[in-house]
Amino acid sequence: MKTINVVLCGLGGQGILFMTKILAQAALRKGYDVLGAETHGMAQRGGSVVSHLRLGKVQGSLVETATAQVLLALEESEGYRNLPYLGPGGGLFVNTSSAAFPREEVRGYLAEKEILCRGVPATSIAVAMGAALSSNLALLGYFSVFAQEPFNHDELRETIAEISPDRFRENNLKVFDAGFDRAMEEKRA
Amino acid sequence: MKQEILLGNGAIALGLLEAGCQVVTSYPGTPSSEILPEVIRLVKSENLNTYVEWSTNEKVAMDNAFAACITGKRAACCMKQVGLNVAADSLMSAAYLGTKGALVIIACDDPGPHSSQTEQDTRFMARLAKVPVLDPSTPEEARRMIGVAMDLSEEFRIPVILRPAIRVCHARQSITYGDLKGNEKKGSFEKDPMRWAATPRYRLILHGELNKKLQEIGKKFETFSDYNFHTLEPGKRYPFGIVAGGVPYAVVRDILIEQDRKDIPLLKIATPFPFPEGIASTFMDACDRVLVLEETDTLIEYLLRDREKVLGRLSGHVPSEGELVPQVIHEVLSHTLNELNIDPLKGNPDPVVTDLVKGLDLPVRKPTLCPGCPHRAAFFAIRKSRPKAIFTSDIGCYTLGLNLGVVDTCLDMGAAITMASGFYHAFSQDGVDQSIVATIGDSTFFHSGTAGLLNAVYNGARFILVILDNLTTAMTGMQPTPALGIRADGSEGKAVSLERTVAGCGVDFIEVLDPYDLKKMNEVLKKAGEYVKEPEGGIAVIIARHPCLIAYREEAIPVRKNVKITDDCVECNFCIERFECPAIYHDPELGRTNINPQICSGCGVCLSICPKGAIVEAA
Repeated sequence: MKTINVVLCGLGGQGILFMTKILAQAALRKGYDVLGAETHGMAQRGGSVVSHLRLGKVQGSLVETATAQVLLALEESEGYRNLPYLGPGGGLFVNTSSAAFPREEVRGYLAEKEILCRGVPATSIAVAMGAALSSNLALLGYFSVFAQEPFNHDELRETIAEISPDRFRENNLKVFDAGFDRAMEEKRA
Repeated sequence: MKQEILLGNGAIALGLLEAGCQVVTSYPGTPSSEILPEVIRLVKSENLNTYVEWSTNEKVAMDNAFAACITGKRAACCMKQVGLNVAADSLMSAAYLGTKGALVIIACDDPGPHSSQTEQDTRFMARLAKVPVLDPSTPEEARRMIGVAMDLSEEFRIPVILRPAIRVCHARQSITYGDLKGNEKKGSFEKDPMRWAATPRYRLILHGELNKKLQEIGKKFETFSDYNFHTLEPGKRYPFGIVAGGVPYAVVRDILIEQDRKDIPLLKIATPFPFPEGIASTFMDACDRVLVLEETDTLIEYLLRDREKVLGRLSGHVPSEGELVPQVIHEVLSHTLNELNIDPLKGNPDPVVTDLVKGLDLPVRKPTLCPGCPHRAAFFAIRKSRPKAIFTSDIGCYTLGLNLGVVDTCLDMGAAITMASGFYHAFSQDGVDQSIVATIGDSTFFHSGTAGLLNAVYNGARFILVILDNLTTAMTGMQPTPALGIRADGSEGKAVSLERTVAGCGVDFIEVLDPYDLKKMNEVLKKAGEYVKEPEGGIAVIIARHPCLIAYREEAIPVRKNVKITDDCVECNFCIERFECPAIYHDPELGRTNINPQICSGCGVCLSICPKGAIVEAA
């Protein structure tokens, strides 16, 4: 079975570790071997944070450049910074409200590598739901519409319900659903 | 059997309790900090009676664990790699004395470095102390190795080091595990002063014993076929092979499998000291050239002792600093194969995208103090009050005072104080009156501040010391400090007063204040500056006390203040540069400075910083 590599990135405090945990737990439920690498320590105080997730019979926790199938970015610049991880034909999902996304300079590269690229105003979606700090769940909800094996929308949602602390569960699901709805609207449009 | 996705440090915690470790001590430090909390979580969920403690520093942690192990118990102490420097005095001696039960030292390395002062290689500390070291490649292997290390320590009566690197500690892996054990073996101490209090004459004998133990352990490591193994086919010769240990083993193993390179044999060495000579010789004999991949230094490379065959850091094939991440190992391997005229690797990294990203001029993301962080308020006041001072500082969140221009030095734990006294004497020797302000966190002060402060008082140094007391060990994940009277497992301990500790070091000027009150802080700094210069003066200590916003969400901001910026703002950028609050930013649409209400903590400290008075309370 081919190894599945996912890279998640953003700034310290945006909830990248929680987003990684949701994906990891969802994959574990389906019987995948799960291995990931996290950023702890000083970078968590607002610095660049990257998290790697690998599913399959591997031993190294870091994703090699140009081998990730999915890159989830909670901040646009961090998305570009980690673009070298994304392999040909991969999916790039970025939290951004910029109308100019993706930047002109990278468009040729994304097209050449046949990378699916989607910008999502995840922060605005989260703010509209009254949960400003939950842009991670909005992005994940959006991503769930495009997700491929082993991830799918229903199971990601179930995993969030399972692992969210009680006092955040309802809100987390609400924001996840709002991200999902956004992607569905775009699909219908 | 149960299964969980655990952090490598959680897997290590599991390994400790599966092996029946009875005493676990630690001082927090990235990447080791989560081991003890994970032990505590498991101890509570399984209702075990394992003894755990956050010790005041790593040496204290090791001494405590050592005493437990010479009662016949199984003990462990956990720390980051530079913590082992602090505990080195204990380690070197403990190696000679030996153990009775088991002592496993878990020292976590930080190739990168991601969150440390150095990239030092703990395997060399093991070599220096003459104790065995195990080098896991994955969380799962680290878990299994703990039991091996405990057995080895007991069998040979020697401390054993486990050296997980950051990619083991902070990897997350699905782990299956068995039964956990608590305090099952009763301790007893048999007096044997010639061992436990050995004088130099007996130390020589103990050194001889230690050397014999190492020889035996080296032989034993030859039989560790689950940990030291190779992929040679019998009788076959190879132009090129790879020897690897630790995390680089995991990385290169994945690459060779992914690329289906059965033509390149791989030797894994998970017990680099004492070196398993036999298996290494077999491998070396079968290969014309051997590339060594290890982190972060050259232990295996030295121990292979063959200048002709061995390629690695010493031959310039492997970078001598930085982490061996997959793309670096890929490049090293590509380059080496090319040089030796062997089939290249597939899919070499595309330099186009790297250059493309470089060309985007992406913002550099410096870590910064959190919005509302009390350290920011203290630093702002210090810089304003003593702009010409030398600012000695220390290790913790507050090292980020760098961004505010209030951290000039950061050497090692406790050096804010020792360097302040060093600066004082270096200048006063020349008759120069140099203003010095030292900043140190509460946990760092308890770790190694007292000896330096006592020394500074005794030797007549003069400076202002600001203890940034946020009532927690924030950087490493909110571990309690001795001043709180809360112990590692949440139980009640005796609170040790910071003020009384400072007074006990001989300091006569001690003021406690809340740094949110900038006016008061300015006044006290002024008074402290005068005291330092008085004939009868000395060291002035200010305890700037306000709870950390992450640890104490509710108490830290009792009344939230909404702030806004008025049209009086002249965009002088003073607040952005000197106060550096993540909530204050230049708004290009507004054409002036603005406040992001989503990030703003409502601390209200910025209300008194604007030279134009343009930051005001909103309705």
